[in-house]
Amino acid sequence: MRNKLISIFVIVWLVVFTYESTRHFYLEPFFGARLPKVKFLFPPAGWIMFFNLDDSYGYTEVYGIKDGRAQAIDPHQILQTRAIGYDNINRNALVSVLSGDVEKPFCDFLRRKFPYFDSFTVTYVNYPSLTTRPFEREQGVAYECR
Amino acid sequence: MNAGKTWDILFLEERPSIGLAFFRIFVALTTGLHVIPSFFHLDDNYLSTAFKTLNPIFFTDGALALAQNSPDWLVIAFVWFFCITWFCFLIGLFSQVSCILMTLCCYYFYALNSFHIGTLSWDILLVTLFLMCLTPYHGDYFSVDALRRGDPDAWQRKRPFFIQRLLQVQVASTFFYTGLYKISAHGNWLTGNPMYSLMHYPPIGVTKNFLLKEWLGMHPSLCYWLGIFIIFMELSLPFWLFNPKTRRSGIIAGFIFHILLILTLDVPAIFFFLFPAQLLLFIHPQAVRGLIEARRRHAYKFKVIYDGDCVFCKASVARLKVMDLWGHLACEPMREALSEIKLSDGQDTWGGFDAFRRMCRLLPMLYPMLLFVYLPGACAIGRWCYARIARNRRCLGNRCDRV
Repeated sequence: MRNKLISIFVIVWLVVFTYESTRHFYLEPFFGARLPKVKFLFPPAGWIMFFNLDDSYGYTEVYGIKDGRAQAIDPHQILQTRAIGYDNINRNALVSVLSGDVEKPFCDFLRRKFPYFDSFTVTYVNYPSLTTRPFEREQGVAYECR
Repeated sequence: MNAGKTWDILFLEERPSIGLAFFRIFVALTTGLHVIPSFFHLDDNYLSTAFKTLNPIFFTDGALALAQNSPDWLVIAFVWFFCITWFCFLIGLFSQVSCILMTLCCYYFYALNSFHIGTLSWDILLVTLFLMCLTPYHGDYFSVDALRRGDPDAWQRKRPFFIQRLLQVQVASTFFYTGLYKISAHGNWLTGNPMYSLMHYPPIGVTKNFLLKEWLGMHPSLCYWLGIFIIFMELSLPFWLFNPKTRRSGIIAGFIFHILLILTLDVPAIFFFLFPAQLLLFIHPQAVRGLIEARRRHAYKFKVIYDGDCVFCKASVARLKVMDLWGHLACEPMREALSEIKLSDGQDTWGGFDAFRRMCRLLPMLYPMLLFVYLPGACAIGRWCYARIARNRRCLGNRCDRV
């Protein structure tokens, strides 16, 4: 009985594991349809560590405005949680705040965290080609927190 | 060999679970090192004042809503609950139950806010935790559970191999698919030169400022072929690991790969603690058993003399025998009154706390105590505590021994 249960579990697990490992990038294009993801387990698109890196790079810079003057805020002051053995800022954790969906909560967070400033400007920094034009740096305003 | 026999060997055959028990410690460390730092800034990460991002692809809307409705006091309660269950899992106290409860806490914090802890490697860790939750096998050794059971042969307890095998499949697949995605789907490691790009990332990029970064940044073709070599390693490593003839090389190559990864890139804690330990699961449990047996055969013996009329002492010695993985101790009860335990190697003799301190160097399960027993002042405190316990040893617990 125990061996039967183990065997059933192993078969189901291997099928689900393989399905989730291939679903997003292989099965969905093959079937031409969006396939359901197993909730509560497995990454959204398989094991895709560093699978696509081009020579452009972008990140977030946040400025606090005081008396009309802008001052760059160290990202480590914004995200103060320190991870062990690596730097979450260097993993570009702050890039997700550029999304318009999080504008209001992130502005509320900045106001609470840095009451010294009157307002904030959240900007994106983009290097279009790090290898061919390493000094070409584009910067623009994503949104402002007034 | 027929399919049924192969299936039995692959998943059902009972093998010593000591490797899985050792792996439990690394799973616990990885989980703790990933989650606990986020508790130092609760107001930033989990309380109502936090900046939160949610992961609707991973969770159902209902689960996210449930977590988001948590009042702050519940969040704080979960923090304590996580810390307690995590510690129990680390030391192997009610190993399976603590693993399940700790994993539920992990899910709770992930649903509450994925901004800090939610990474691809966190999703990988949750898969590992899910498998660990299924059985209590990881509590068979290196655990308080093993001490509670008091079985001196706990280190060679045999269990169905399927959990360890599925963990092997997990890590091997992670390597394989990581390589496969780089050259197919939307991966650009053949058409582009990602390694070269990585060497030019700005300081706030994922590449650490390691010694050869600038030099590699001047050699695009070397970077390209380095990238191809990485893909080759990732694709071939599973075959190395599953083939007994190349397994040792596969494990060493995997270790080197992760050390290089850690030295050059800002990658999460899982790469430090989980993957290298998971590679060790490829060592055949019988080989582990053989190594331990060989060491036990050649172990330098220490004689332990204890009060044979004291129930507490007998129970303590039974636990020492469980912890005595290398077979150093030869325990001998004495019928005459003995004020403290004695440990002797034939030349030197240690008593009481000093004997315990010496045993911390002999018994692997006591190795963590080495961090404490040699601290300044530990000797005085230890001797005082030992003397108190020794004085009352016949009346510890709910009743006194009959003399």
